[in-house]
Amino acid sequence: MSWLPRSTPIDGYPTKTSDLQSETEDVLVSHLPREDTPPVLNKNPHLQFLVRNLVQGFPARYTSQDASQPWLMFWTLQCFSTMQVGIDPNNKQRAIDTILSWQHPDGGFGGGPGQAAHLLATYASVCSLAIVGRPGPKGGWDQIDREKIYKWYMSLKQPDGSFIVSTVGEVDVRGIYCLLVVAYLLDIVTPELIAGTAEFIVSCQTYEGGFASASHPYFAAQPDEDASPHCLPFPRPNLGEAHGGYAFCALASWVLLKPFLPEGSSLNINGKRLLRWLVYMQGSEIELGGFKGRTNKLVDGCYSWWVGGEFALLEALGITGHHDRSESDAHTDGNDEAWADVDAFKHFTDSLFNRKALQEYILCAGQHPAGGLRDKPPKNPDAYHTLYCIAGLSAAQHRVFPSQARRRQLEEAWASDGELNDRLRKTAFVEALSWLEEEGTSKVIGPSSNRVNATQPLFNLTATHTEGIMSHFYHQTVPRWIPTKAP
Amino acid sequence: MAPVDIADSVPYSERPEWSDLTPVAQYENIQPLAPIFYNPDYKDATDYFRGVVKTGELSPRVLDLTETIIRLNPAHYSAWQYRYQTLIATKSSLADELILTNELTRIYLKTYQVWHHRRLLLTLLNDPLPELPFIEEILKVDVKNYHTWSYRQWLLAHYNREDMWVQELPLVERLLEEDVRNNSAWHHRFFVVFERGGADGEDTVRQELAFVKEKIALAPNNLSAWNYLRGILDHKHLPYSTQADFTKLYVVSSIALNEESVVDLENPRPSKGAQLPSAAAIEFLADVYEAEGESGLSKAVELWRSLADEHDTIRKKYWEYRIREATVAAPD
Repeated sequence: MSWLPRSTPIDGYPTKTSDLQSETEDVLVSHLPREDTPPVLNKNPHLQFLVRNLVQGFPARYTSQDASQPWLMFWTLQCFSTMQVGIDPNNKQRAIDTILSWQHPDGGFGGGPGQAAHLLATYASVCSLAIVGRPGPKGGWDQIDREKIYKWYMSLKQPDGSFIVSTVGEVDVRGIYCLLVVAYLLDIVTPELIAGTAEFIVSCQTYEGGFASASHPYFAAQPDEDASPHCLPFPRPNLGEAHGGYAFCALASWVLLKPFLPEGSSLNINGKRLLRWLVYMQGSEIELGGFKGRTNKLVDGCYSWWVGGEFALLEALGITGHHDRSESDAHTDGNDEAWADVDAFKHFTDSLFNRKALQEYILCAGQHPAGGLRDKPPKNPDAYHTLYCIAGLSAAQHRVFPSQARRRQLEEAWASDGELNDRLRKTAFVEALSWLEEEGTSKVIGPSSNRVNATQPLFNLTATHTEGIMSHFYHQTVPRWIPTKAP
Repeated sequence: MAPVDIADSVPYSERPEWSDLTPVAQYENIQPLAPIFYNPDYKDATDYFRGVVKTGELSPRVLDLTETIIRLNPAHYSAWQYRYQTLIATKSSLADELILTNELTRIYLKTYQVWHHRRLLLTLLNDPLPELPFIEEILKVDVKNYHTWSYRQWLLAHYNREDMWVQELPLVERLLEEDVRNNSAWHHRFFVVFERGGADGEDTVRQELAFVKEKIALAPNNLSAWNYLRGILDHKHLPYSTQADFTKLYVVSSIALNEESVVDLENPRPSKGAQLPSAAAIEFLADVYEAEGESGLSKAVELWRSLADEHDTIRKKYWEYRIREATVAAPD
């Protein structure tokens, strides 16, 4: 190694935080990419790790995730999808049967059979069914009791627009994100369901720009228990500091809720401050450009997705690293026909974060030699980190953005069935499916075999799986997308 | 700390007092995909728990069963939920439950459920004052634990009592004294000073600015402190230019600081060990120049360029984006 990156400055004033940081840098520096050997994604050991968990089962130390069985399933299945691996029909059916055994008789899915329904478990179950399920008897999709899920959702709703994650459970933005994804996928979004939720999300943004787990709706316990509580005006106090995981859930929720805001609504998040905070979550060269989850904490492979995945979501807010914005704006002036060209016209795009460095962190520090991916060396791999490292790799390789041309095509193809909420349903359908991978701009570090699939950034499912389950529940045919060639 | 050793205890399947209950196996008619290999104790207890859930029993023995499960897997939210409902139904002593929860909080401070259980209990017990020293004790184990902090913040907002609020700034100051880079403590300071509602007038702002600048002087590359400075200004809609003189002391290289000059309390100088220039200061000053409009633009661009090319190269794309955004937006 001819060149060593700078250590994080400690200003001659070491503290516990800087000690931990230095120790981590000492470990990471031995994993710096070598100029002579391009880093390789060791797909085979990772797949073996995943297959072993799926088919043979998880070792006893995973007992701590007994209440997260749907997550173990989702992490594993979504890894296969992202790594371009299909699942045989027999295992697919076993997966469907297993997932359905988590469905609660009163609606929603629990962390395992006989467990209480939980918003997070319901996300992981429904997304897993998006991957392995199908319509018809035993297919999984038609066995989801959507009406009961909806009723259960409404029973979890709080006066400030938030939701508790389960009966007598806690409120946080993870739960809201999970609820909204499922509501989108299953076509159960209603104005009543999401009333006040966007306000809640906005109230969770902290002074740093990221998002907290929750906010508090009012000061002091209600003196009169019968009186309806009055929510504080903005800003409401944040519960917890800005955090990468909560920021992902909050931003994705915001993108999912934004299309339903009343016209002329001034409600907004501070995109500029969020962007600044997000870019600061990327560790420096000596940390191999991995992401951290909070200011002055350590890098961790899972934030490759929770933070790295947020840059695609920012595209929905018009925040993009794409260079020729003024030119594409000029194309759209009163000329609808130009839209198709606009998407293709983005001949040079770039991200707002260091895509190359993030890939190097995942490939050089995130991979465990024996298979599976991890937080950081010398830690062991696990199912959670394996997915979120792979998903982060995907986010760093591809640019996925909401395409105006695709949106218009989907709007035109929408078959109205005169149902109540037709406009709202159409909006949900179009918003979710208008995300496209930009052709010809993927950036793969290492050999081309390192390439993984792009994922739909709102749901962390592939476009194919998103389209499959949504066309089923919305009774729509998704028009084929034929990418136009770049000039 | 390891969960209690229940290896010696009798399995529920062999306890006469449980013989009336039919345990329910987890997967009855299917061959599950991705199963977990539980140890026999856990399997035994959760089989009985599923049996209890099926019959809807809410009785004192359920408290014993759920405690066993929680100690084996504190993330078992259904066991916690069922335990809470049983406590209420059996009119059990919530004060006793809080004592048990103290122990469980110490052991399982990283789980959501133990903190939420506390919150449910506190809501009914309405005795928040002893919570503050207890939380401090937990912070000694893990000073950045997210749940611990959000619980403390909930407690303060929920009760909104003066005798609780007054303890907070001394705590934050102790913690920042120990570790000025503790972002959780900085966030808590912002919560206490600015999110409490009211009481953040001019004096407060002056005090906070003095406090944070002194901390920046101590370690000028500490992003937590710079973010706090920005937080104050953004929150009070004060222009960044008010801090330009201060910031300029941190964008020069260390060598230039040799000369002794008059001590300026408003603008404390970087400490001796400071590694200058501080990238965060350069960024801040660039924001000051950007806000000046056309006249400051070239200076802002120069600073962003220096971040992109030299002082903060990992964020090169971002600094270049800032340059593009500022130059596109500016009038010709």
